[in-house]
Amino acid sequence: MNTPQGVTIAKTGEKSAFGGEILTVNFGPHHPSTHGVLRLIVDLDGEQIRGIKPVIGYLHTGIEKQMEALRWQQGVVVTDRHDYLSPPINNLAYALAVEKLMGVEVPPRAQALRVIMSELTRLSSHLVWMGTSGLELGAMSMLMYCFRERDTILDMNEEISGFRMHTSYIRPGGVFADATPRFLEMLDTFIRAMPAHVDEYEDLLTMNPIWRARTIGIGRLSPDDAKVLGASGPMIRGSGIAWDLRKTMPYSGYENYEFEVATSNDCDCYGRYLVRVKEMREAVKILRQALDRLPDGPVNVDDRKMLPPPREELETSMEAVIHHFKLFTEGYSVPAGDVYVAVESGRGENGCYIVSDGTHKPRRVKFRSASFVNLQALERMSLNHMVADMIAIIGTADAVLGDVDR
Amino acid sequence: MIAEELIIDRGVSAGDEWITVAAEHVRDALAGLRADGYLLLTFLTCVDHLADSSRQWPARFEIVYQVRNLETREQLRVRAFVDGDPPRIDSVHDIFPPANWDERETYDLFGVVFNDHPNLTRILMPDDWVGHPLRRDYPVGGETVEFSEEHERWQTAPDKA
Repeated sequence: MNTPQGVTIAKTGEKSAFGGEILTVNFGPHHPSTHGVLRLIVDLDGEQIRGIKPVIGYLHTGIEKQMEALRWQQGVVVTDRHDYLSPPINNLAYALAVEKLMGVEVPPRAQALRVIMSELTRLSSHLVWMGTSGLELGAMSMLMYCFRERDTILDMNEEISGFRMHTSYIRPGGVFADATPRFLEMLDTFIRAMPAHVDEYEDLLTMNPIWRARTIGIGRLSPDDAKVLGASGPMIRGSGIAWDLRKTMPYSGYENYEFEVATSNDCDCYGRYLVRVKEMREAVKILRQALDRLPDGPVNVDDRKMLPPPREELETSMEAVIHHFKLFTEGYSVPAGDVYVAVESGRGENGCYIVSDGTHKPRRVKFRSASFVNLQALERMSLNHMVADMIAIIGTADAVLGDVDR
Repeated sequence: MIAEELIIDRGVSAGDEWITVAAEHVRDALAGLRADGYLLLTFLTCVDHLADSSRQWPARFEIVYQVRNLETREQLRVRAFVDGDPPRIDSVHDIFPPANWDERETYDLFGVVFNDHPNLTRILMPDDWVGHPLRRDYPVGGETVEFSEEHERWQTAPDKA
Protein backbone atom coordinates (compact mmCIF):
# COMPACT_ATOMS: atom_id res chain seq x y z
CA MET A 1 0.00 0.00 0.00
CA ASN A 2 2.79 2.38 0.85
CA THR A 3 5.09 3.75 -1.79
CA PRO A 4 8.23 1.67 -1.79
CA GLN A 5 10.87 3.73 -0.08
CA GLY A 6 14.34 3.80 -1.51
CA VAL A 7 13.62 1.14 -4.09
CA THR A 8 16.04 1.29 -6.96
CA ILE A 9 15.53 -2.01 -8.64
CA ALA A 10 13.45 -5.01 -7.68
CA LYS A 11 12.42 -8.24 -9.29
CA THR A 12 8.81 -9.11 -8.62
CA GLY A 13 9.17 -12.63 -9.91
CA GLU A 14 6.25 -12.13 -12.27
CA LYS A 15 6.75 -13.71 -15.70
CA SER A 16 6.83 -11.27 -18.55
CA ALA A 17 5.80 -11.71 -22.16
CA PHE A 18 9.39 -12.02 -23.32
CA GLY A 19 10.26 -14.83 -20.94
CA GLY A 20 12.05 -12.61 -18.49
CA GLU A 21 10.70 -11.05 -15.35
CA ILE A 22 8.99 -7.75 -14.69
CA LEU A 23 11.51 -5.32 -13.27
CA THR A 24 10.55 -2.42 -11.05
CA VAL A 25 12.92 0.43 -11.70
CA ASN A 26 13.21 3.77 -10.06
CA PHE A 27 13.33 6.76 -12.41
CA GLY A 28 14.28 10.14 -11.03
CA PRO A 29 13.65 12.25 -9.02
CA HIS A 30 16.82 13.99 -10.15
CA HIS A 31 16.65 13.10 -13.79
CA PRO A 32 17.20 15.88 -16.31
CA SER A 33 14.19 14.92 -18.37
CA THR A 34 11.68 15.07 -15.53
CA HIS A 35 11.40 18.88 -15.72
CA GLY A 36 12.03 19.37 -12.06
CA VAL A 37 11.98 16.57 -9.54
CA LEU A 38 9.53 13.91 -10.56
CA ARG A 39 10.06 10.36 -9.42
CA LEU A 40 8.51 7.49 -11.32
CA ILE A 41 8.40 3.90 -10.24
CA VAL A 42 8.26 2.02 -13.50
CA ASP A 43 7.42 -1.66 -14.05
CA LEU A 44 9.39 -2.84 -17.03
CA ASP A 45 8.98 -5.87 -19.21
CA GLY A 46 12.20 -5.81 -21.17
CA GLU A 47 12.11 -2.23 -22.29
CA GLN A 48 8.34 -1.94 -22.37
CA ILE A 49 6.44 -0.10 -19.70
CA ARG A 50 3.80 -2.14 -17.88
CA GLY A 51 3.05 0.32 -15.12
CA ILE A 52 4.03 3.75 -13.91
CA LYS A 53 3.55 5.18 -10.48
CA PRO A 54 4.46 8.86 -10.21
CA VAL A 55 5.77 9.92 -6.81
CA ILE A 56 5.46 13.65 -6.31
CA GLY A 57 5.96 16.11 -3.52
CA TYR A 58 9.68 16.79 -3.85
CA LEU A 59 8.98 20.46 -4.59
CA HIS A 60 6.19 20.90 -2.07
CA THR A 61 6.70 24.33 -0.54
CA GLY A 62 3.43 24.73 1.33
CA ILE A 63 2.27 27.62 -0.82
CA GLU A 64 -1.36 27.19 0.21
CA LYS A 65 -0.38 27.30 3.88
CA GLN A 66 1.74 30.40 3.32
CA MET A 67 -1.17 32.16 1.65
CA GLU A 68 -3.21 31.78 4.84
CA ALA A 69 -0.57 33.67 6.79
CA LEU A 70 -0.29 36.54 4.31
CA ARG A 71 -2.64 39.44 3.78
CA TRP A 72 -4.66 39.59 0.58
CA GLN A 73 -2.31 41.93 -1.25
CA GLN A 74 0.79 40.07 -0.07
CA GLY A 75 -0.39 36.73 -1.42
CA VAL A 76 0.37 37.78 -5.00
CA VAL A 77 4.07 37.32 -4.41
CA VAL A 78 3.55 33.69 -3.48
CA THR A 79 1.34 32.91 -6.48
CA ASP A 80 4.27 33.74 -8.75
CA ARG A 81 6.20 30.84 -7.44
CA HIS A 82 4.17 27.68 -7.87
CA ASP A 83 4.10 27.50 -11.66
CA TYR A 84 7.43 29.23 -12.11
CA LEU A 85 7.20 29.28 -15.88
CA SER A 86 4.05 31.39 -16.00
CA PRO A 87 3.98 33.78 -13.03
CA PRO A 88 1.70 36.50 -14.52
CA ILE A 89 -0.98 33.93 -15.36
CA ASN A 90 -0.94 32.67 -11.77
CA ASN A 91 -1.18 36.26 -10.57
CA LEU A 92 -4.15 36.74 -12.87
CA ALA A 93 -6.06 33.76 -11.47
CA TYR A 94 -5.56 35.00 -7.93
CA ALA A 95 -6.30 38.63 -8.76
CA LEU A 96 -9.50 37.74 -10.63
CA ALA A 97 -10.68 35.59 -7.73
CA VAL A 98 -10.11 38.31 -5.14
CA GLU A 99 -11.74 40.89 -7.40
CA LYS A 100 -14.75 38.68 -8.02
CA LEU A 101 -15.25 38.20 -4.31
CA MET A 102 -14.98 41.95 -3.69
CA GLY A 103 -17.13 42.82 -6.71
CA VAL A 104 -14.42 44.97 -8.26
CA GLU A 105 -14.00 45.53 -11.98
CA VAL A 106 -10.60 46.71 -13.22
CA PRO A 107 -10.33 49.48 -15.87
CA PRO A 108 -10.04 48.51 -19.58
CA ARG A 109 -6.37 49.43 -19.84
CA ALA A 110 -5.51 47.13 -16.96
CA GLN A 111 -7.48 44.32 -18.63
CA ALA A 112 -5.59 44.80 -21.88
CA LEU A 113 -2.24 44.87 -20.09
CA ARG A 114 -3.22 41.69 -18.30
CA VAL A 115 -3.96 40.05 -21.63
CA ILE A 116 -0.61 41.22 -23.01
CA MET A 117 1.27 39.82 -20.04
CA SER A 118 -0.69 36.54 -20.18
CA GLU A 119 0.11 36.01 -23.83
CA LEU A 120 3.77 36.91 -23.40
CA THR A 121 3.89 34.40 -20.58
CA ARG A 122 2.20 31.75 -22.67
CA LEU A 123 4.82 32.33 -25.35
CA SER A 124 7.72 32.14 -22.93
CA SER A 125 6.29 29.04 -21.29
CA HIS A 126 5.85 27.30 -24.66
CA LEU A 127 9.36 28.36 -25.65
CA VAL A 128 10.83 26.71 -22.58
CA TRP A 129 8.76 23.64 -23.30
CA MET A 130 9.87 23.49 -26.92
CA GLY A 131 13.51 24.11 -26.13
CA THR A 132 13.75 21.48 -23.43
CA SER A 133 11.66 18.91 -25.29
CA GLY A 134 13.85 19.40 -28.34
CA LEU A 135 16.89 18.90 -26.19
CA GLU A 136 15.51 15.66 -24.81
CA LEU A 137 14.45 14.23 -28.14
CA GLY A 138 17.61 14.87 -30.11
CA ALA A 139 17.13 18.39 -31.45
CA MET A 140 19.84 20.05 -29.42
CA SER A 141 19.84 23.42 -31.17
CA MET A 142 16.19 24.07 -30.28
CA LEU A 143 17.16 25.24 -26.82
CA MET A 144 19.40 27.99 -28.19
CA TYR A 145 16.74 29.31 -30.56
CA CYS A 146 13.91 29.16 -28.05
CA PHE A 147 15.81 30.71 -25.17
CA ARG A 148 16.89 33.57 -27.43
CA GLU A 149 13.27 34.70 -27.81
CA ARG A 150 12.43 33.86 -24.23
CA ASP A 151 15.15 36.22 -23.13
CA THR A 152 13.50 39.02 -25.08
CA ILE A 153 10.29 38.29 -23.19
CA LEU A 154 12.14 38.32 -19.88
CA ASP A 155 13.65 41.67 -20.84
CA MET A 156 10.14 42.95 -21.40
CA ASN A 157 9.06 41.59 -18.01
CA GLU A 158 11.93 43.50 -16.49
CA GLU A 159 10.98 46.68 -18.29
CA ILE A 160 7.35 46.59 -17.19
CA SER A 161 7.63 45.19 -13.67
CA GLY A 162 11.26 45.34 -12.61
CA PHE A 163 11.56 41.56 -12.39
CA ARG A 164 12.55 39.10 -15.04
CA MET A 165 10.74 36.01 -13.82
CA HIS A 166 8.60 36.45 -10.72
CA THR A 167 6.94 39.61 -11.84
CA SER A 168 4.01 39.98 -9.38
CA TYR A 169 2.81 42.38 -12.05
CA ILE A 170 -0.90 41.57 -11.98
CA ARG A 171 -2.41 42.15 -8.58
CA PRO A 172 -5.91 42.51 -7.13
CA GLY A 173 -7.27 45.86 -8.26
CA GLY A 174 -5.22 46.24 -11.41
CA VAL A 175 -1.57 45.98 -12.32
CA PHE A 176 1.62 47.11 -10.63
CA ALA A 177 2.44 49.98 -13.01
CA ASP A 178 1.46 51.32 -16.38
CA ALA A 179 3.40 50.11 -19.41
CA THR A 180 6.32 52.33 -20.23
CA PRO A 181 6.72 53.69 -23.80
CA ARG A 182 9.88 51.59 -24.09
CA PHE A 183 7.91 48.46 -23.20
CA LEU A 184 5.38 49.16 -25.94
CA GLU A 185 8.22 49.73 -28.38
CA MET A 186 9.89 46.46 -27.38
CA LEU A 187 6.57 44.67 -27.67
CA ASP A 188 5.99 46.04 -31.15
CA THR A 189 9.44 44.90 -32.30
CA PHE A 190 8.85 41.51 -30.73
CA ILE A 191 5.47 41.04 -32.43
CA ARG A 192 7.01 41.89 -35.80
CA ALA A 193 9.86 39.45 -35.35
CA MET A 194 8.09 36.55 -33.68
CA PRO A 195 6.17 34.97 -36.60
CA ALA A 196 9.44 34.50 -38.49
CA HIS A 197 10.96 32.90 -35.40
CA VAL A 198 8.06 30.47 -35.11
CA ASP A 199 8.66 29.55 -38.76
CA GLU A 200 12.26 28.92 -37.80
CA TYR A 201 11.25 26.52 -35.03
CA GLU A 202 8.93 24.74 -37.41
CA ASP A 203 11.72 24.44 -39.95
CA LEU A 204 13.77 22.73 -37.31
CA LEU A 205 11.13 20.39 -35.94
CA THR A 206 7.93 19.88 -37.92
CA MET A 207 9.42 17.80 -40.71
CA ASN A 208 12.49 16.70 -38.78
CA PRO A 209 12.63 12.90 -39.21
CA ILE A 210 14.05 12.27 -35.72
CA TRP A 211 11.46 14.50 -34.06
CA ARG A 212 8.65 12.88 -36.04
CA ALA A 213 9.86 9.36 -35.29
CA ARG A 214 9.99 10.13 -31.60
CA THR A 215 6.60 11.82 -31.31
CA ILE A 216 4.16 10.49 -33.92
CA GLY A 217 1.98 7.75 -32.49
CA ILE A 218 3.61 8.10 -29.08
CA GLY A 219 1.57 8.76 -25.94
CA ARG A 220 -1.91 8.44 -27.35
CA LEU A 221 -4.68 9.98 -25.30
CA SER A 222 -8.13 9.45 -26.75
CA PRO A 223 -10.61 12.35 -26.57
CA ASP A 224 -12.82 10.42 -24.15
CA ASP A 225 -9.90 9.63 -21.87
CA ALA A 226 -8.76 13.23 -21.95
CA LYS A 227 -12.22 14.40 -20.86
CA VAL A 228 -12.64 11.82 -18.14
CA LEU A 229 -9.14 12.31 -16.73
CA GLY A 230 -9.73 16.03 -16.51
CA ALA A 231 -6.87 16.93 -18.83
CA SER A 232 -6.73 20.55 -19.91
CA GLY A 233 -4.70 22.86 -22.07
CA PRO A 234 -2.65 21.43 -24.94
CA MET A 235 -3.30 17.94 -23.53
CA ILE A 236 -7.04 18.09 -24.24
CA ARG A 237 -6.70 20.21 -27.38
CA GLY A 238 -4.06 17.81 -28.70
CA SER A 239 -6.79 15.18 -28.40
CA GLY A 240 -9.09 17.13 -30.67
CA ILE A 241 -11.36 18.82 -28.13
CA ALA A 242 -11.59 22.58 -28.61
CA TRP A 243 -11.67 23.46 -24.93
CA ASP A 244 -9.87 26.70 -24.21
CA LEU A 245 -10.99 28.76 -21.24
CA ARG A 246 -10.15 31.94 -23.13
CA LYS A 247 -12.94 31.04 -25.57
CA THR A 248 -15.28 28.86 -23.56
CA MET A 249 -15.37 30.86 -20.33
CA PRO A 250 -13.73 34.19 -21.23
CA TYR A 251 -12.11 36.36 -18.59
CA SER A 252 -10.26 39.68 -18.59
CA GLY A 253 -11.80 40.72 -21.90
CA TYR A 254 -10.59 37.77 -23.99
CA GLU A 255 -13.98 37.72 -25.73
CA ASN A 256 -12.93 40.92 -27.57
CA TYR A 257 -9.95 39.34 -29.31
CA GLU A 258 -10.04 37.31 -32.46
CA PHE A 259 -8.08 34.11 -32.33
CA GLU A 260 -8.52 30.46 -33.11
CA VAL A 261 -8.42 27.63 -30.63
CA ALA A 262 -5.57 25.37 -31.70
CA THR A 263 -6.56 21.72 -31.86
CA SER A 264 -5.11 18.60 -33.36
CA ASN A 265 -6.79 15.27 -33.99
CA ASP A 266 -3.53 13.35 -33.76
CA CYS A 267 -4.06 12.63 -30.03
CA ASP A 268 -0.32 11.96 -29.64
CA CYS A 269 2.85 13.81 -28.67
CA TYR A 270 3.17 15.26 -32.18
CA GLY A 271 -0.39 16.58 -31.97
CA ARG A 272 0.40 18.35 -28.72
CA TYR A 273 3.48 19.84 -30.36
CA LEU A 274 1.38 21.14 -33.26
CA VAL A 275 -1.12 22.63 -30.82
CA ARG A 276 1.61 24.53 -29.00
CA VAL A 277 3.12 25.87 -32.22
CA LYS A 278 -0.31 27.07 -33.34
CA GLU A 279 -0.92 28.61 -29.94
CA MET A 280 2.29 30.58 -30.24
CA ARG A 281 1.11 32.01 -33.56
CA GLU A 282 -2.30 32.82 -32.07
CA ALA A 283 -0.66 34.46 -29.05
CA VAL A 284 1.22 36.79 -31.39
CA LYS A 285 -2.09 37.65 -33.07
CA ILE A 286 -3.69 38.47 -29.72
CA LEU A 287 -0.68 40.57 -28.75
CA ARG A 288 -0.96 42.56 -31.98
CA GLN A 289 -4.67 43.25 -31.38
CA ALA A 290 -4.08 44.15 -27.75
CA LEU A 291 -1.26 46.53 -28.60
CA ASP A 292 -3.15 48.24 -31.43
CA ARG A 293 -6.29 48.69 -29.37
CA LEU A 294 -4.65 49.40 -26.02
CA PRO A 295 -7.10 51.81 -24.37
CA ASP A 296 -5.98 54.87 -22.45
CA GLY A 297 -6.86 55.47 -18.86
CA PRO A 298 -5.95 54.31 -15.39
CA VAL A 299 -4.45 50.86 -14.75
CA ASN A 300 -5.83 50.47 -11.24
CA VAL A 301 -9.22 50.68 -9.62
CA ASP A 302 -9.84 54.01 -7.95
CA ASP A 303 -10.27 52.61 -4.47
CA ARG A 304 -8.02 53.89 -1.72
CA LYS A 305 -9.22 51.12 0.60
CA MET A 306 -7.72 48.51 -1.72
CA LEU A 307 -4.66 50.06 -3.33
CA PRO A 308 -2.14 52.51 -1.91
CA PRO A 309 -2.41 56.17 -2.95
CA PRO A 310 0.12 57.52 -5.44
CA ARG A 311 3.40 58.67 -3.94
CA GLU A 312 2.87 62.37 -4.64
CA GLU A 313 -0.46 62.42 -2.77
CA LEU A 314 1.27 61.32 0.41
CA GLU A 315 2.98 64.68 0.67
CA THR A 316 -0.17 66.77 0.38
CA SER A 317 -3.08 64.77 1.75
CA MET A 318 -3.56 63.59 5.32
CA GLU A 319 -6.20 61.14 4.17
CA ALA A 320 -3.74 59.54 1.77
CA VAL A 321 -1.30 59.03 4.64
CA ILE A 322 -4.02 57.36 6.71
CA HIS A 323 -5.03 55.09 3.84
CA HIS A 324 -1.41 54.22 3.21
CA PHE A 325 -0.84 53.41 6.86
CA LYS A 326 -3.98 51.31 7.18
CA LEU A 327 -3.20 49.37 4.02
CA PHE A 328 0.32 48.47 5.01
CA THR A 329 -0.36 47.69 8.65
CA GLU A 330 -3.68 45.94 8.37
CA GLY A 331 -4.49 45.38 4.70
CA TYR A 332 -8.01 45.24 3.42
CA SER A 333 -10.66 42.67 4.17
CA VAL A 334 -12.60 40.70 1.61
CA PRO A 335 -16.31 39.88 2.16
CA ALA A 336 -16.95 36.38 3.49
CA GLY A 337 -17.67 33.80 0.83
CA ASP A 338 -15.89 31.61 -1.65
CA VAL A 339 -15.19 31.81 -5.34
CA TYR A 340 -13.47 29.76 -8.02
CA VAL A 341 -11.84 31.42 -11.02
CA ALA A 342 -10.03 29.53 -13.76
CA VAL A 343 -7.68 30.94 -16.37
CA GLU A 344 -5.91 29.26 -19.25
CA SER A 345 -2.19 28.98 -18.65
CA GLY A 346 0.34 27.47 -21.01
CA ARG A 347 -0.34 24.12 -19.40
CA GLY A 348 -4.09 24.22 -19.07
CA GLU A 349 -6.66 25.21 -16.54
CA ASN A 350 -5.00 27.15 -13.78
CA GLY A 351 -7.64 27.84 -11.18
CA CYS A 352 -7.78 29.61 -7.89
CA TYR A 353 -10.36 28.74 -5.23
CA ILE A 354 -10.53 31.28 -2.46
CA VAL A 355 -12.45 31.16 0.79
CA SER A 356 -12.70 34.32 2.82
CA ASP A 357 -14.01 34.58 6.36
CA GLY A 358 -14.30 38.36 6.11
CA THR A 359 -10.90 39.12 7.62
CA HIS A 360 -7.77 40.61 6.10
CA LYS A 361 -6.22 37.21 5.43
CA PRO A 362 -7.62 34.36 3.33
CA ARG A 363 -9.13 31.39 5.15
CA ARG A 364 -8.17 29.00 2.38
CA VAL A 365 -6.55 29.37 -1.01
CA LYS A 366 -6.50 26.34 -3.26
CA PHE A 367 -4.65 26.33 -6.54
CA ARG A 368 -6.09 23.97 -9.10
CA SER A 369 -3.01 23.33 -11.14
CA ALA A 370 -3.16 21.89 -14.62
CA SER A 371 0.10 19.99 -14.20
CA PHE A 372 -1.19 18.09 -11.17
CA VAL A 373 -4.21 16.81 -13.05
CA ASN A 374 -2.44 16.26 -16.38
CA LEU A 375 0.22 14.16 -14.69
CA GLN A 376 -2.44 11.65 -13.67
CA ALA A 377 -2.88 10.82 -17.35
CA LEU A 378 0.78 9.80 -17.58
CA GLU A 379 0.13 6.15 -16.83
CA ARG A 380 -2.68 5.94 -19.39
CA MET A 381 -0.46 7.50 -22.06
CA SER A 382 2.73 5.56 -21.56
CA LEU A 383 1.54 1.97 -21.07
CA ASN A 384 3.24 -0.44 -23.49
CA HIS A 385 5.63 2.20 -24.76
CA MET A 386 9.41 2.03 -24.54
CA VAL A 387 11.30 3.75 -21.77
CA ALA A 388 12.69 6.29 -24.22
CA ASP A 389 9.16 7.18 -25.32
CA MET A 390 8.30 7.99 -21.74
CA ILE A 391 10.67 10.94 -22.00
CA ALA A 392 8.68 12.28 -24.95
CA ILE A 393 5.44 11.73 -23.06
CA ILE A 394 6.59 13.48 -19.89
CA GLY A 395 7.92 16.24 -22.10
CA THR A 396 4.70 16.87 -23.99
CA ALA A 397 2.59 16.57 -20.85
CA ASP A 398 4.60 19.66 -19.85
CA ALA A 399 4.17 19.30 -16.12
CA VAL A 400 5.95 21.94 -14.09
CA LEU A 401 6.78 20.21 -10.86
CA GLY A 402 6.54 23.36 -8.79
CA ASP A 403 2.97 23.58 -9.98
CA VAL A 404 2.29 19.92 -9.28
CA ASP A 405 3.55 20.05 -5.70
CA ARG A 406 2.73 23.66 -4.89
CA MET B 1 -30.50 13.33 -12.16
CA ILE B 2 -29.76 14.61 -8.71
CA ALA B 3 -32.65 13.94 -6.35
CA GLU B 4 -34.06 17.12 -4.87
CA GLU B 5 -34.25 15.65 -1.38
CA LEU B 6 -30.45 15.20 -1.28
CA ILE B 7 -29.96 18.96 -1.40
CA ILE B 8 -29.91 20.45 2.07
CA ASP B 9 -29.08 23.99 1.07
CA ARG B 10 -28.32 25.93 -2.07
CA GLY B 11 -27.15 29.39 -3.00
CA VAL B 12 -24.88 31.57 -5.05
CA SER B 13 -21.52 32.85 -3.84
CA ALA B 14 -19.96 35.66 -5.92
CA GLY B 15 -21.71 34.28 -9.01
CA ASP B 16 -20.82 30.62 -8.39
CA GLU B 17 -23.73 28.27 -7.81
CA TRP B 18 -23.44 25.82 -4.96
CA ILE B 19 -25.41 23.13 -3.19
CA THR B 20 -24.87 21.40 0.11
CA VAL B 21 -25.50 17.68 0.53
CA ALA B 22 -25.20 15.44 3.54
CA ALA B 23 -21.79 13.77 3.75
CA GLU B 24 -23.30 10.28 3.60
CA HIS B 25 -25.10 11.10 0.33
CA VAL B 26 -22.15 12.66 -1.46
CA ARG B 27 -21.67 9.68 -3.77
CA ASP B 28 -25.34 9.66 -4.77
CA ALA B 29 -25.25 13.38 -5.44
CA LEU B 30 -22.07 13.29 -7.52
CA ALA B 31 -23.13 10.20 -9.47
CA GLY B 32 -26.39 12.01 -10.24
CA LEU B 33 -24.51 15.08 -11.39
CA ARG B 34 -22.24 13.02 -13.58
CA ALA B 35 -25.27 11.38 -15.19
CA ASP B 36 -26.59 14.91 -15.75
CA GLY B 37 -23.58 15.72 -17.88
CA TYR B 38 -21.23 17.20 -15.31
CA LEU B 39 -18.38 15.09 -16.64
CA LEU B 40 -15.45 16.93 -15.17
CA LEU B 41 -14.46 17.25 -11.55
CA THR B 42 -12.39 20.40 -11.71
CA PHE B 43 -11.02 20.01 -8.23
CA LEU B 44 -11.79 18.60 -4.84
CA THR B 45 -10.53 20.15 -1.67
CA CYS B 46 -11.26 20.81 1.96
CA VAL B 47 -11.75 23.94 4.02
CA ASP B 48 -11.07 23.95 7.74
CA HIS B 49 -13.61 26.15 9.53
CA LEU B 50 -11.95 25.98 12.92
CA ALA B 51 -12.79 29.17 14.86
CA ASP B 52 -14.41 30.75 11.82
CA SER B 53 -16.95 33.23 13.16
CA SER B 54 -18.16 34.51 9.78
CA ARG B 55 -21.22 32.26 10.13
CA GLN B 56 -22.51 29.14 11.87
CA TRP B 57 -20.83 26.10 10.32
CA PRO B 58 -22.47 22.66 10.59
CA ALA B 59 -19.09 20.99 11.08
CA ARG B 60 -15.41 21.81 11.14
CA PHE B 61 -14.38 20.40 7.76
CA GLU B 62 -16.08 21.32 4.52
CA ILE B 63 -15.32 19.10 1.53
CA VAL B 64 -15.75 21.03 -1.71
CA TYR B 65 -16.31 19.44 -5.11
CA GLN B 66 -16.34 21.66 -8.17
CA VAL B 67 -17.96 19.98 -11.17
CA ARG B 68 -18.35 21.27 -14.68
CA ASN B 69 -20.49 20.42 -17.66
CA LEU B 70 -18.26 20.68 -20.72
CA GLU B 71 -21.20 21.05 -23.11
CA THR B 72 -23.27 23.73 -21.39
CA ARG B 73 -20.25 25.20 -19.52
CA GLU B 74 -22.23 25.24 -16.30
CA GLN B 75 -20.36 24.87 -13.06
CA LEU B 76 -21.62 23.70 -9.73
CA ARG B 77 -19.99 23.48 -6.35
CA VAL B 78 -21.03 20.67 -4.05
CA ARG B 79 -20.32 21.01 -0.35
CA ALA B 80 -20.41 18.37 2.32
CA PHE B 81 -19.60 18.93 5.97
CA VAL B 82 -17.81 16.34 8.05
CA ASP B 83 -16.64 16.16 11.62
CA GLY B 84 -14.97 13.55 13.72
CA ASP B 85 -11.45 12.36 14.36
CA PRO B 86 -10.46 11.50 11.76
CA PRO B 87 -13.22 13.01 9.62
CA ARG B 88 -14.53 10.43 7.15
CA ILE B 89 -16.30 10.68 3.83
CA ASP B 90 -16.82 8.31 0.92
CA SER B 91 -14.34 8.37 -1.92
CA VAL B 92 -15.58 9.37 -5.38
CA HIS B 93 -12.51 8.24 -7.33
CA ASP B 94 -14.55 5.74 -9.37
CA ILE B 95 -17.10 8.40 -10.38
CA PHE B 96 -14.51 11.05 -11.22
CA PRO B 97 -10.99 9.67 -11.90
CA PRO B 98 -9.19 13.00 -11.20
CA ALA B 99 -10.47 12.72 -7.63
CA ASN B 100 -7.89 10.02 -6.97
CA TRP B 101 -4.95 12.34 -6.40
CA ASP B 102 -7.10 15.17 -5.05
CA GLU B 103 -8.38 12.88 -2.31
CA ARG B 104 -4.87 11.77 -1.47
CA GLU B 105 -3.85 15.40 -1.25
CA THR B 106 -6.80 16.24 0.98
CA TYR B 107 -5.98 13.29 3.20
CA ASP B 108 -2.35 14.34 3.35
CA LEU B 109 -2.93 17.99 4.16
CA PHE B 110 -6.18 17.84 6.17
CA GLY B 111 -6.34 14.30 7.50
CA VAL B 112 -9.74 13.63 5.96
CA VAL B 113 -10.09 9.88 5.40
CA PHE B 114 -11.80 8.85 2.17
CA ASN B 115 -13.51 5.48 2.60
CA ASP B 116 -12.71 2.88 -0.08
CA HIS B 117 -9.95 4.89 -1.68
CA PRO B 118 -7.57 2.45 -3.45
CA ASN B 119 -4.33 4.02 -2.24
CA LEU B 120 -4.88 6.56 0.49
CA THR B 121 -1.29 7.55 1.25
CA ARG B 122 0.49 10.83 1.62
CA ILE B 123 1.18 12.45 -1.71
CA LEU B 124 2.93 15.78 -1.10
CA MET B 125 4.42 15.39 2.36
CA PRO B 126 6.97 12.67 3.18
CA ASP B 127 5.50 9.31 4.15
CA ASP B 128 6.68 9.59 7.74
CA TRP B 129 5.33 13.09 8.32
CA VAL B 130 3.36 13.65 11.50
CA GLY B 131 0.28 15.86 11.36
CA HIS B 132 -1.73 17.46 8.60
CA PRO B 133 -0.26 20.84 7.66
CA LEU B 134 -3.26 22.64 6.19
CA ARG B 135 -5.36 22.26 9.31
CA ARG B 136 -5.81 25.61 10.96
CA ASP B 137 -4.40 24.39 14.27
CA TYR B 138 -1.16 23.26 12.62
CA PRO B 139 1.27 26.10 13.31
CA VAL B 140 3.01 28.00 10.55
CA GLY B 141 6.73 27.53 11.01
CA GLY B 142 5.98 24.79 13.50
CA GLU B 143 7.86 22.05 11.75
CA THR B 144 11.21 21.10 13.18
CA VAL B 145 14.24 21.59 11.01
CA GLU B 146 15.45 18.36 9.52
CA PHE B 147 18.90 17.07 10.50
CA SER B 148 18.91 19.09 13.69
CA GLU B 149 19.91 17.68 17.06
CA GLU B 150 16.29 17.00 17.89
CA HIS B 151 16.10 14.70 14.89
CA GLU B 152 15.50 11.54 16.92
CA ARG B 153 12.70 13.07 18.93
CA TRP B 154 10.41 14.26 16.19
CA GLN B 155 10.97 11.73 13.46
CA THR B 156 8.44 9.14 14.43
CA ALA B 157 6.05 7.47 12.10
CA PRO B 158 2.39 8.47 12.42
CA ASP B 159 0.01 5.95 13.94
CA LYS B 160 -1.73 5.38 10.65
CA ALA B 161 0.04 6.14 7.40
